[in-house]
Amino acid sequence: MLTSFKLMIRPINFSYALQLLCHFCLAFAVSAKEVNHDDLQIHGFVAQGIIDANHSNYINSDTSLSLELTEIGINASYQLNDDFRVAGQAVYLNGGNRYHAGPRIDYLLLQWNAFHSEHWQANFYFGRVKNNHWLYSSTRDIPFARPSIIIPQVVYFDGFRDVAVGGDGAAMKLRYSDDDVGEIDFNFSRGKSAISERQSDVIIGELALGKLDHDLDMQASIYWQPPFSGWRFGLSALDSTFAYQQAEVDNYFDSDFVYQFYTASALYEGELWQFSMELFQQRFVTEGFYFPGFFQDNLGQGYYLQTRYQLTDKLSILARHERFYADKDDKNGSKLKQKSGGRIPSYFAFHHDNMLGISYDLGSNFRLNAEYHWMQGGARLSPIVQPDPIANAQKNWQVWAIQLMYWF
Amino acid sequence: MINNKLLKIVLTVLLLSPPVEAIHLISNVTADTRSLSVSQLRRIYTMRQLYWQNGTPIVIYVLPSQAPLHQQFCKDKLALFPYQLDRIWQKLTFSGYGVAPIQVANQQALLQAVKTTKGAIGYVETLSEVKDVNVIQIDD
Repeated sequence: MLTSFKLMIRPINFSYALQLLCHFCLAFAVSAKEVNHDDLQIHGFVAQGIIDANHSNYINSDTSLSLELTEIGINASYQLNDDFRVAGQAVYLNGGNRYHAGPRIDYLLLQWNAFHSEHWQANFYFGRVKNNHWLYSSTRDIPFARPSIIIPQVVYFDGFRDVAVGGDGAAMKLRYSDDDVGEIDFNFSRGKSAISERQSDVIIGELALGKLDHDLDMQASIYWQPPFSGWRFGLSALDSTFAYQQAEVDNYFDSDFVYQFYTASALYEGELWQFSMELFQQRFVTEGFYFPGFFQDNLGQGYYLQTRYQLTDKLSILARHERFYADKDDKNGSKLKQKSGGRIPSYFAFHHDNMLGISYDLGSNFRLNAEYHWMQGGARLSPIVQPDPIANAQKNWQVWAIQLMYWF
Repeated sequence: MINNKLLKIVLTVLLLSPPVEAIHLISNVTADTRSLSVSQLRRIYTMRQLYWQNGTPIVIYVLPSQAPLHQQFCKDKLALFPYQLDRIWQKLTFSGYGVAPIQVANQQALLQAVKTTKGAIGYVETLSEVKDVNVIQIDD
């Protein structure tokens, strides 16, 4: 059996949790002393772009110019009283082959402000909560709040988007700040994601006819910003397990997967220069799936370095360098090619990207982003467990995209 | 593509924007605090301090991020760049983990909102027509 950290907290069925949440909110709304219009906040965004990937099915199968770069979202937050708040966000996403197109409930939660003082804040969140542990994980679908149209795939792999973006369960955020130590944030979450058939196709491919389930995952992170400093440093850890139940007639077999992911990050924000980096190690264990008794335990490693320079108040340029190796002991992919009998090319063992981007603010709530990526390798192409060397026949491929966005 | 005419209008408006003369911090009369340190002010605007000392919730009103007064306030009074606050506020708002300040269109609307909202805080450029609010001293 695969081993993984197991905690006592168990997430409850989401629809049942939703009912509980509604009853809870209704009770508080009815008993609220007064309804203040400032207690309700509504925000949203719309973004549309064009995107093109050469020599790859990253966006679409025929590698044609695509409009599949749509992101729409609306959220609402209502302060029930001094201690409780409800919030939810619905989004519609279309990213071509990157993840399945359609509407989603991004988050829907009840916040309990358990403790607050001048220096401390302790908040608990129940319901569907977003992953808040990596630098851009909670804003990966928010076009104007992420650094680029395509964010670093080495960390924010689109194929795992629906599992990594959050889950149904609970989260805690503990914040401290003073003039001596600066700002410290500790985050913890526990939950699971329901994986639809279409999401499953993106993760494990259409030839796998069985059911993929996400068991519990546990995530924790800590961030520290020294007093009056432009630097911010962070550490995070994720432990998750998945189970695949084969169909009666299937190309694959019952299996368990373990995915563990550890990151260290740094962020610098100056007047003209910004800098960010995340480096990570991941452990991906496969037991079964390809055939009964199959076992693979890979340690992957990667990082990205990113810098932005503000040319004018409205215009900035962005540069990023990313590297990822699916197996740190097989960086050039020779073992992968050998184990697959030559069916999988060696470049599916890594993913590298060098990108340049430009961002122009057309107003306080309008922005135009454009970027070009020089990609290398196929280790961050979906489906990850069934590489497609025919659609991705070249080691080097390119992506460019332009996106216009509005938010309120 | 950006229309050249539109670009010229935007640039003209920006160039003709008068410089900010002074910045005064104001609050609703229900806030019991008459002076704040820069650290306290940063904690309030980065959403780390959500209540006044008397327990009243703090409601923050701001101008659009590209308004000269807002930009000057961020740099001079908070020692932060406006985009840093945008990042913090957008992350809270669009991840569900918190709420951001309420944005209003101009200084008149901001003053009116601070006057009429319990626990509100904001900033103005001149005190000459400001009545019925507290003026908060910022201690360096």
